[in-house]
Amino acid sequence: MTIMESSAPLLKLATKQKAFVAIVGMLVLMLFFDTNFYTTYNLLDMLNSTSILLILAFGVSLTVISAGCDLSIGGIMVVAGIIAIKLMDVMPMWGAILCALVFGAFVGFVNGFLVVQQKTEPFIITLGMGMLLTGVAQQLTDARPVPASNPDFMMIGNGDLFGMPYLVIIMLVCFALAHWLMRYTQYGRNLYAIGGDYEVALYSGIDVVRTKWIAFVISGVGAALAGVLLSSKLNTGSSIYGETAALIVNCGVVVGGTSFAGGIGGIPQSALGLLVFGILDNAMNMLGITSYIQILLKGAIIVGIIWMDCFYQKRKRELV
Amino acid sequence: MKKNFSAIGQGLFRNYVLIAILALVAVTMLVEPNFMTFANLINIMRQFGPLVMVSLGMTFVIIGGFIDLSVAGTISLVAVVTVTLIDPIGQVPAILVGLAVGALCGYINSVLVLSSGALTQAEALFITFGMSTVYSAIALMYSGGSTKHMRFLKGDTSVIEALGQGSVGIFSVSFLVFLVCLAVLWVFQTQTRMGRAICLTGGNKTAAHLCGVPVSRSIIAIYTISGFMAAIGAIILFSRITTASPVIGAGYETNAILAVVVGGTTLKGGKGSVLRTVMGVLLVILMSNCLNLLGVTPYMQVVTKGAILVIAIWLDNRTQI
Repeated sequence: MTIMESSAPLLKLATKQKAFVAIVGMLVLMLFFDTNFYTTYNLLDMLNSTSILLILAFGVSLTVISAGCDLSIGGIMVVAGIIAIKLMDVMPMWGAILCALVFGAFVGFVNGFLVVQQKTEPFIITLGMGMLLTGVAQQLTDARPVPASNPDFMMIGNGDLFGMPYLVIIMLVCFALAHWLMRYTQYGRNLYAIGGDYEVALYSGIDVVRTKWIAFVISGVGAALAGVLLSSKLNTGSSIYGETAALIVNCGVVVGGTSFAGGIGGIPQSALGLLVFGILDNAMNMLGITSYIQILLKGAIIVGIIWMDCFYQKRKRELV
Repeated sequence: MKKNFSAIGQGLFRNYVLIAILALVAVTMLVEPNFMTFANLINIMRQFGPLVMVSLGMTFVIIGGFIDLSVAGTISLVAVVTVTLIDPIGQVPAILVGLAVGALCGYINSVLVLSSGALTQAEALFITFGMSTVYSAIALMYSGGSTKHMRFLKGDTSVIEALGQGSVGIFSVSFLVFLVCLAVLWVFQTQTRMGRAICLTGGNKTAAHLCGVPVSRSIIAIYTISGFMAAIGAIILFSRITTASPVIGAGYETNAILAVVVGGTTLKGGKGSVLRTVMGVLLVILMSNCLNLLGVTPYMQVVTKGAILVIAIWLDNRTQI
């Protein structure tokens, strides 16, 4: 019993800051290997390739903090990317991008209707929505990659400003916006309150339905933006990239310390959580680990971290 | 008068799967006369095999209030393990080892879910998704990423071929295997103490635990059954298409959830039946078949499946209120 009690704060620290611990662990580990990991080029490239997942994660964090979840982001991402590329032939670039974002907002609106207004279980219904959208993407492209015709469009995902890729800049802007929204506005506080206790938030006079609904719309727009950026980076629209992105991003958000129980976490934590996967990918490539073992390690890490999250929740319930 | 109408409405609503099946069959028969041919009906019976097995197992997980996304990985792993063992140890032992691997995968899931104290579907969803990735990766590593063809095997494969391709009278063997599994699982669910315990666990875990229902053992049972049924599905699938690739199981998890939910087992847990799932599977398979005959692209079929899943969950949720 005494061992259990004395280990409790340590366990709490490890579970709360698990993403930070994991990142520091990986960075220290990489010092012992003679690779090109610690070069400005590599670190910037890693940040660049993680940017799209990070943008997805910021929107998803809002839904997870309000005790929901959005697994349809993978589908929104690919369809929005395809819409942007297809519409670029008939309208100016910014118009096409805007249409893609509006599409994301629309899907988010439908998700919000089903999950918040109709009170369905968010996990499976958004999974179904993602499946539907993957089908739409395949239908739109005939399951073939669609090349973009506009060279300016390609610059968004591949250009840089004084050596800083545009993708990273856009990601940082999104980060700042999302962090400001969650930390310094009434809307953000309300969202935390809803995630903490739905009934209490309702009786304190928060318009719970509208607040949570907006979170889903923001998540949809974020996913659409990520899709446009992905298409721009690859200069093609394709239906195959969204398959595991949704589950990886949702896991990454939880890895960062935002719990599916809702009410805790934040944008910086989610960013750290996704960076764990980004650094892991990069480090494993640097070390020359084969792709099957990479998949295995990723799966094991997902299980391990979700397991710790559940275990921590169980501890908390038992203490109450 | 209004009450009568609502009673009829309720009756229609409860049996919307049956009505949807009949409507679908009627429309397809009118538009496409090939539907009622003997060859097509045999074809439907064969397609029934793998999905229905996975869905029957998934039914128990959903009745128990959880979800199992790991069946995709389990199917791939079992298929790869079985096919590589046929040459060294013979076909029947290979099948038995495959089934054991499936049950073991399910057991590992249940241990993870239990030890972490996961109570909600969401937590189970992510744990089993992670495990699906792990099982798929093991399948990839074990097979080196290559696809194995049954005709390149040296050993005797008569039993496995019969499972997927043979027939007794007008019934295919896989259909008979399905009938046996259905009967066993139906008796298990309705007549045994464990079957009741699973329903009660799904209804309310805390209340069930306080009433002395063996909640932990129920959770172990549901995941092990799910893994075992996925293994049967994997072997039937492999024998039908005669190749085993390490990504063979992809997509089965969502299709199985779709079939279970469309059949009318509620995602909230505690209620449902394997018979309903059979109806759900029938609807999914018939729909694929009808859409194929009507010349709809496979991509549009994914869209339709997704839409049906979303609408089914939505309707299921509305009936609960």
